[in-house]
Amino acid sequence: MKDPYEILGVAPTASADDIQKAYRKLAKKLHPDLNPGNAEAEEKFKEIAGAYGLVGDAEKRKRFDNGEIDAAGAERPRQNYYRDYASSEQDHPYTDNSGFADFMDSEDAFAELLRRSAQAQANRRGHDLAYRLPIEFIESIAGANKRLTLPDGNTLDVTIPPGITEGQVLRLRGKGAPGSGKGGFGDALIEVEIKPDRSFTRQGDDIYLELPITLTEAVLGARIKVPTPTGAVTMAVPKGSNTGTTLRLRGKGAPKHAGGYGDQLVKLKVMLPREPNPELEAFVSGWESGRTYNPRDEVAP
Amino acid sequence: MKLSKQEFLSLSGMGNDTLNAWIEDEWLIPSGSSVELSFSEIDIARAQLIRDLQMDFGVNDEGVGVILNLVDQLYGMRRTLMELRQAVRTTSEQS
Repeated sequence: MKDPYEILGVAPTASADDIQKAYRKLAKKLHPDLNPGNAEAEEKFKEIAGAYGLVGDAEKRKRFDNGEIDAAGAERPRQNYYRDYASSEQDHPYTDNSGFADFMDSEDAFAELLRRSAQAQANRRGHDLAYRLPIEFIESIAGANKRLTLPDGNTLDVTIPPGITEGQVLRLRGKGAPGSGKGGFGDALIEVEIKPDRSFTRQGDDIYLELPITLTEAVLGARIKVPTPTGAVTMAVPKGSNTGTTLRLRGKGAPKHAGGYGDQLVKLKVMLPREPNPELEAFVSGWESGRTYNPRDEVAP
Repeated sequence: MKLSKQEFLSLSGMGNDTLNAWIEDEWLIPSGSSVELSFSEIDIARAQLIRDLQMDFGVNDEGVGVILNLVDQLYGMRRTLMELRQAVRTTSEQS
């Protein structure tokens, strides 16, 4: 890299004020955003910005003058310039066509071309707007109608289809931001967030539930009511069921994509009475095989 | 990339009052609603340009407004020019 003083066109003895003045004078001419079509200007601008970054800073200038740092690598890295976005095909709100509006008024082919491209810019579709909508687990399985209140106070009615999964995005056509001219509205994109449920969990199309049962129901078997996201159903607990026994309720899971439903899997959990029970204690102390069965046989020592 | 107002402030190092004034003057036109503004890359780059004008070039507020107006017209023309070029290319390919 060249000598920074030379780049800025000042003497090495120049005052800080003079350096700033020299930099400003050059930068005003060469700033890439003010010279969008000029690649040479950009190169020169980088050079003077790098030079100014070095000798425009009192501390760095001292170290440079003392030979502690050199001019290499002094170019300031910088994120993209405004012109990189303003010139892109992407729609943005800063476009202004008034600079050639008069050219569009005539009747020749050139004016016609200009009018067409201005019209294309004027009739752009509105942006899509993204929202998040938290729903209950049960609503995610059974479906629901929700009303989303938007930051601007308006509301959106959203139909949650049954079986929706976490992170799924619902598209409401024409509910996004207004476009310009005849561009029409963008869409509202609603990302569904399913709140965790205290009882139910979901894996694929199946729903899992841990269900407490009494000792009596476990030993003798019973018909009990089981909650599912779509309402309670009756289920037979076979005689001799145990903690960990899993029963399958066919077709009580989440709706499948291809049609049909998953299952609900009910994992039983045998619960002793909450309070110590003298009757039970009396029975168990006289129950011989309760002492000989060791459920820890298969647990590693 | 979409940034909230808070993220934009911390990324650009600007003060809230300054940003509000810039939006008020339409130097910046973020998308989203008045309650929840949303900023994108072009807004960041434009803010950088405005800061260059103010800090490095010593342009005052009135000057910034004039420059931005001309800059927007310049880029509007460039876009249209690019679209015209595209249209001319398409036409000459067809014929």
